[in-house]
This record gives sequence, C-alpha cells and structure tokens, in this order.
Amino acid sequence: MKNKILRIALALGFIILCQAALLAQQTFTTTIYLDYTYFLTNKGWITAPPPGNPSFMNNFFTFRRAYFRYENKISDNLKFRLTYDADYVKAVDASGKKDDKLRPFIKHLNFEWSNLIPNSSIKVGMTDTLTFKLAEDKWGYRSVAKTLTDGYKDVTGTEIDASSADLGASINGSISKQIRYGFMVTNGAGYSHPEGDKFKKFMAQIHLIPIAGFSLVGYVDYEKQDSSNKAFTYKADAFLEMVKNLVIGVEYFVYDNDKNLAADLRHYDISGLSLFGRFTFKPDVLSIFARFDRYEPNSKNANDQVSLIIAGFDWAPLHKSLRIQPNILYYTYADPAKKDDAIFNLTFFLSF
Amino acid sequence: MKKWLSIAVIGLSLALIPQMSLAQKKMIQVKGSDTMVNLVQILAEEYMARSPKQALAVLGGGSGTGVSALINGTCDIADHSREWKQKEIEQAWEKGVKPRFFIIAVDGLSIIVNERNPIEKLTMAELGAIYRGEVKNWKVVGGPDKPISLYGRQSNSGTYVFMQEHVLGNKNYSMDMKEMNGNAQIIEGILQDENGVGYVGVGYLFDSSGNVRKGLKVLKVAKDANSPAYSPLDKTSVDSGRYPVARPLFQATNGKPSPAVADFIMFETGPEGQKIVEREGFFTIGAAHRESNEKNLR
Repeated sequence: MKNKILRIALALGFIILCQAALLAQQTFTTTIYLDYTYFLTNKGWITAPPPGNPSFMNNFFTFRRAYFRYENKISDNLKFRLTYDADYVKAVDASGKKDDKLRPFIKHLNFEWSNLIPNSSIKVGMTDTLTFKLAEDKWGYRSVAKTLTDGYKDVTGTEIDASSADLGASINGSISKQIRYGFMVTNGAGYSHPEGDKFKKFMAQIHLIPIAGFSLVGYVDYEKQDSSNKAFTYKADAFLEMVKNLVIGVEYFVYDNDKNLAADLRHYDISGLSLFGRFTFKPDVLSIFARFDRYEPNSKNANDQVSLIIAGFDWAPLHKSLRIQPNILYYTYADPAKKDDAIFNLTFFLSF
Repeated sequence: MKKWLSIAVIGLSLALIPQMSLAQKKMIQVKGSDTMVNLVQILAEEYMARSPKQALAVLGGGSGTGVSALINGTCDIADHSREWKQKEIEQAWEKGVKPRFFIIAVDGLSIIVNERNPIEKLTMAELGAIYRGEVKNWKVVGGPDKPISLYGRQSNSGTYVFMQEHVLGNKNYSMDMKEMNGNAQIIEGILQDENGVGYVGVGYLFDSSGNVRKGLKVLKVAKDANSPAYSPLDKTSVDSGRYPVARPLFQATNGKPSPAVADFIMFETGPEGQKIVEREGFFTIGAAHRESNEKNLR
C-alpha cells in the first residue's frame, strides 16, 4: 500500500514537473568534452615517462568537462541559471585509498535582471567573470583548449588569479551598438574556494565596435592582496569577423602582483599573447581552427617562456549535437633542458 | 615523432577533402518564424517546382531562432514576424552581419476564443489588460462570469514580441499565460478550453476547405472604445490599417542577397508568390513594401 502511494506520488510529481517545464521557459542542457589523448612524443617535458615507470600513461580516455545546465526564464526581465560542472577531483576515501571520481560542483548559480537600467543586465550570484568570456566566445573551442588567460595555470603552473566564474555581482550593458561596458565585483576566490579574506576583486571592461565585425576590448581588474600588496590584470583583445565564416582574434594580458618577487627580490610581471583563427566551411558541419600562444611566466627570466600551437578541425558528421574535433597541441620551451611535446587529442563534443 | 605528425596531417587532410567538396553544393537555408513557416514552405515548394536545380530547406523555431541563425551564419534567410530587437542589432554589428530586410506578406494577427464564448469584440486596451493579467474575468469585458484562461507563444516567437510591443504596451505578460510552442498548439488549447483566449497568425485559422476551423471564434478588435471593431478576416480592413493588430512578415539576409537567394525573394514578392500568400490566408504586400524590397535587392 505504502509503495503504491509512493508510486502514484512519483508519477504525479513527474507529470507536474513535465507540465511545468512545458509551460514555463525552462531549459535543461548538457555539454560534455570527451577526449582520447595520445602522446606523439616521448621525450618532452609533459610526455617523457618518469624514470622507472615503464607503464607511464601515454594514451588515455578522459572526460575533460561535463556541464549540466538548468535555466528558468521567469519573465522577460528575470532569469535564473544553475550550472553543474564536473571534473576529476583528487581525494581519498575513508580507508585512505585514492578516489579521484568525476565529481560535480556548482559553476553558475545566479539570477539575471535585465533592463533595470536600459540595455543592461545585472547578474548576482556565481557568475561568469568578465576576464575572458568574450575571448572564449570568439575562440569557440573550449572543448579543445581553454583560452590563454583561462588556461594559463594549466600550461605554466603559474597562478594569475583568473577564474572563469566567481561569486559576486556584475552589470553588462550597451550605450550604443559601438560601445559596451561591463563592471563586476567578486570575492576573487573563483568558484573553487569560499572567500578567504576581506578584499574584493573589481573588474571593468569596455568593448568598442567602431565598424561592423571589428571589436576592440580593454579590461582591467584589481584586488588588494593584503595590507600592503595589490594585484592588477591588464588585458587587451581584438577580434575581426568582417569576412564571412572567418574569425580572427588576439588576446594579450599582463598580470602585475606586488607579491611576485624573484629570488633577488626584483619585481616581475606575468604576461601572455594568443593569436587564433577559425574558418567555417559549412556551418554546423565543418570548421578548421588554429592558435598560437606565447606564455611569459616571469618577465625577469629569459628561460621560462612556453609556446603552444594548436590546430585541428571540427566536424559534425551526423548532427551538430555530436562534433568530432581531432586536434594537435605542440609545446616548445625556451628552456633548452625541456624538449618539445606533441599531443594528439580526439575530442568528442556532445551537446544535448 | 615526425612519422606520427605526418600520419596525423595526412589523416586530417583525407577526412577534410570530402567535406570540403560537400560544402560546395549549396542549399538555401531558411529558418525562423513559426507563423511564417507553412507559408514559406509552400512558397519554397512552388519555387523548386519552377526551378528544380535550386534546393531550399525551410525550418521554423521562432523569429528569435531565425535571427540568431542568420547572425551565426547557419541560414541564408531569416523569417521573422517582428522587427529585430536592439540586442540582435548589436550582436549582428559585432559579428559583421549587415541585415537587409524584405517584407513578403502582411498578417492580421487574430484574437481567438472558443465558439461557446459569447464575446464578439475587444478593444486594444481590453486586450492589453487581459494579457497583462490585469483583467482576469470575462465579465469585466462584457462576457460571462468566468475566469479568463490565457494562451500565448514562448518568448523566442516573433508573435509574442509583436503582441507585447503593440498590445501590451511593452509591459510583461501575465505569469498565468500558458506559453505554447506554436500557433497550432494555441488553437488546440482554445478548442478544448471555453474560457480561453489566444492569438495566432491569420493563416492558421482555416481548415482544408478554407473556412475558419470549427470550434473557433475570431474576435473583432477596435482601436479604442469609440472606434468600430474590425475583423482580421476582412482584407480591406487589414490593408487599410483599420484592423489594429496587423503586422508585416519579414525576411532578412546578411548583406546583399546572393543571386540564388535574390531570385527566391523576387519569386515570393512577385505576382506568383503573392497569389500563394493570398491563398494561404495572409495579405499581399502594398506598393511601398514592394519598392523597399526592390531597393534592398540591389
């Protein structure tokens, strides 16, 4: 009897949920990046097997990312978003055994209030930061590689305090079709950590589009590190979309943190430059892309630069929901002790 | 290492070659307004019968979907039953898309109720108040003492936006409105619900024999309480602008249309296409629209 009531309640709940989903502006979407990775070199900084490890992992399947997003458009002016992201989180179980499961965490949890100020939207909660959202949209292949600023730490191991999402509030808007702006204040701790100090991060961006298809973006952020140190990020982007089906972009940044001192106590900056392009032969079916990144983790060290070349294509043989993106990443290092790395990824982009 | 790189490059090239040759075969992709999808499909079929070498694919999804597809380069023609929003104009500008607009027909947006509802007409103010949720009972507008049940479109529909701008005074719809996926779903809702009111393109009102579908009543609408009410079924009222809920149906291209796209648009807006427009229950375009279309084709 109890089971029967439970089943009826579940069925009713499901019907109500379906009906609510049909009547309101609610959407559920999932995006997954699944890779088969193969190291084409075996002597490089990344790809060389460590001494005494003959079974070194030089090819593997991995879910690099899995997003599950729920959006609810309550009215023309109010929207809610919840995004779960999943990543391999290093952990151990109760017995001390390694347990690096693909674990979900909250990436976005915010509301968006549009047109409180004309032609603007205000977001409050865990939200995309202004730092590289535009560059990411123009590059368009997060499934293959994060943009320069976003992936800086992954490539160089150097912290630049840049996060794709953070907890705080932002306003984005336009003054005319040629001028857009964005301001944001966040904890500065990203989405992986709660706030750890009293200092907040302030971001400002101006996006100019003087002629159709040509964008110039200026960005700055500031956060006090402690009572005597501060950090700034200065960033400039340019995007060209004037030729049909072709997008070309440039991203450049400098990260200036008072705490970045070399062994001889000289202050150094961290910077990077990225050039990318993509061309679509057939929309939603076939595109090619390429990128060149230059990483400078320490302006006072001539030996630590890293260059990365990315090239590949994006092919949707059946439907745009399933895209196959074979790509090659080629790393070179200024340090003569580090040999080049070449890595092949067969990336599957799933979106449903 | 070099061997692997060579294999990878050759493999990529081989995989790309057939796709690149596929990309050469061009089919005109039309996407957008659900109000227009049936009409444009019929126009495309007639056009393909006349020009068998040219293929067209026509999809719905709503005006917003069509505009977005044109901006993202995934269609050649966007169908839209409302003007572009400021945000869309800005997105197009950012992506180097310079839209050109064509008007292919005029739609008298029809306000429908169940035939058992005794109400015959509404003013624009009453209609706005009903859809904003300020009037919740038919009694207030001269009908029976019954709650009003609202049917409308989802927000990516041009019809939704047109109603919001022209009837609701740019205010929000009532939270109680049922947001349906298409005109046909609104009609089904009204047929089942004697307290319902909905809005659909005039082309969706008729059955196969050309009569208004059984079970539906099309309301007359007046500009204000002192003006006479007109029906969207009366062509002269729509043409003359006396029927207040009429709108042009647009197509947009990215810049000057290619010769193939231009030829299709000329067919739609020419005498043959306009005959089909009329046959499908929409209204033909006037001289001013024709002139603006011709200018945009050049």
